[in-house]
Amino acid sequence: MRIKKIIIEDNAALFRQSHSILNKLKNVTTERETSELSEFADKIHPADMDKETLRLVAFKGEFLKPCPGTKEYICCGYQILNIGTNCPMNCSYCILQAYFNQPSLRVFVNLEQELNLIADYLDSQPEKIFRIGTGEFTDSLALDHICGWSSQLSTFVQKRKNIALEFKTKTDNIQGLLSSPYRDRIIVSWSLNSQDISRQEDKGAPTIERRLKAARKCQEEGFIVGFHFDPLVYYKNWEDGYLKTLDLLDKYIDPKKVIWISMGCMRFIPALKNIIRKRHPKTHILDGEFINGTDGKMRYFKPIRIEMYSLLKNYLDLWEKDVGLYLCMESSEIWIKSLGWTPDNSQGLSDYLDNRVLKKF
Amino acid sequence: MNMNQLKNSIVFLKAEEFEEKPGVFGMSYGFDSKKITSSIKEVGLLNKPYVRRNIAGRIDVVTGYRRIMACRALNWEVIPCIDLSDSGLSDADLLILNLYDNICVREFNNVEKYMIIRKLLSYFSLSDIHERFMPFLGVSSRREIDLLLKIEDMTDDLKGYIAKGLISMKALDSLKEIKDYDLPIIIKFITELHLNFNQQLLFIEYINDISIREELDISTILAEKTFIELLDGASRNIPQRAKTLLDRLRIKRFPILVRNEKAFAKLILEVDLPPNVKIKHTPFFEGPDYILEISFKDGKKLKETIDSLTQVKGIEKINDPWTD
Repeated sequence: MRIKKIIIEDNAALFRQSHSILNKLKNVTTERETSELSEFADKIHPADMDKETLRLVAFKGEFLKPCPGTKEYICCGYQILNIGTNCPMNCSYCILQAYFNQPSLRVFVNLEQELNLIADYLDSQPEKIFRIGTGEFTDSLALDHICGWSSQLSTFVQKRKNIALEFKTKTDNIQGLLSSPYRDRIIVSWSLNSQDISRQEDKGAPTIERRLKAARKCQEEGFIVGFHFDPLVYYKNWEDGYLKTLDLLDKYIDPKKVIWISMGCMRFIPALKNIIRKRHPKTHILDGEFINGTDGKMRYFKPIRIEMYSLLKNYLDLWEKDVGLYLCMESSEIWIKSLGWTPDNSQGLSDYLDNRVLKKF
Repeated sequence: MNMNQLKNSIVFLKAEEFEEKPGVFGMSYGFDSKKITSSIKEVGLLNKPYVRRNIAGRIDVVTGYRRIMACRALNWEVIPCIDLSDSGLSDADLLILNLYDNICVREFNNVEKYMIIRKLLSYFSLSDIHERFMPFLGVSSRREIDLLLKIEDMTDDLKGYIAKGLISMKALDSLKEIKDYDLPIIIKFITELHLNFNQQLLFIEYINDISIREELDISTILAEKTFIELLDGASRNIPQRAKTLLDRLRIKRFPILVRNEKAFAKLILEVDLPPNVKIKHTPFFEGPDYILEISFKDGKKLKETIDSLTQVKGIEKINDPWTD
């Protein structure tokens, strides 16, 4: 990944993080922009997400928000810390492709100021566990060497015992984390997949093995780690593909230091299909039998999901039963038929994961 | 520009001087000239076309292209027109003049809308076009403009189908991702089986998905006997063949789903349910439960039905079809 241009929007230049980023990217062309997106949108082709441009933005929206989850299915009660949007990798299934009105890699440089407000909010509810993640709208670590998020946020969470902060990534960009003196309240987690799918669909991302080596390094350095098999993709020989990844997991990872492993089968909003077809014409990610879920998203026909989750669950059980296995956005019925139990509802799953946090920290 | 301030100088031009094509200001495509021809035949040319002589000395039709074509069809030797050569109006003015002349009397087909946008783009920005002119054409979004502009690269055959309204704009949008050499066979199925707009979308989505998954050209798949035989109307009527086409494609696209739907239907059929009772699954089996539906005339009949249900043999075997 190479940043070819930096655009500083509106008042973003005033913030300390902007100076820090500009210092690190001294040789990159920099532009200031005062006009807003409408003009910009005209210049960018919809299929081009302009991933080589870094936009420094003074974000005006809410930084900490509950994950919207999805209607009708069980969700985990996660909180999203909005540090930026888009990502330098180019995964074919990525939902961020649907946000064409906001291309480029966008970094919210006023995060430092907003953390004070967030702190007030979090500190006002000391009994509640906040599971917070930065990896929903961007990769948590892909730009860490430029943005310094890991250092900034590690310091922030150390003071607070009601937080578990998850850095969710597909990269092995862990230097920032490792050089920080802090370990408490921090979870580093990796998206995993079969190596076939990763090779074909995770464009620009490190291999599964490199991710797992990074995870092992983090474990060795005292971090708690997590994994997300998401999206699970149904394809010919999928069983073999995923079992090979489980073998690698066994090879590199100490299951005792895993806080959770989630699984979620490939799903997407209908509008994403045409975008994927346009941006990744050779992808086979849409080959499976997708039906309209009750939340309006396209998802695999139920027995396919049950089969996939069951297989992974059975093999993970052989590795270690207590890895905090859970399903992302699935129905109670699927939970029971594939994992053998159900948290019943989103609150139940939230409680389950909160307990994992209490157990590991 | 105000036409009331212009002098109307009538000129009589030889019919042979007019070219067949609509020309620089024309916005007519795929029209039926019968009505206008019979009107002119009955009562003459009520509204004279506006024309001008261009730098090369040839005639540009500003308004009334269809009328001129009708006059020619009626073998008129000369056609009375209003000459705007010395009007001082710019090309943009003349284009707008024709646009407003047409807007008042008819609706445009999608190829004509494309022609209008393409011509306006010579003089106006896309934003201007969107704001000033598109509401008159019933075009609401920039996306729709982009879509219409795609017509530019299409063959005359395809333009003809679009002009006749045989292919929807949404279907057209879906066709953008299809390889050129596969288009004729798709169009053939759509037009010969008279697929309605929803069926067109489903057809294109299924066949494209199958083609990508199986790494086969669409033409190759549709040449299979199971599909190509549907173009031969010997056995069934057109709506039946259209439905069969989509059913067969669905089986190919969703083999596991269809297999389970059939297994469930068979399972229910084997249970000897009373005729007023139905057992259904939720759409795509996505819901956790099955649905029992009883139709009844009164409470007495309902009670009888409920009582009889407990005696139905095999009812306890109803289960997810994929668990067998």
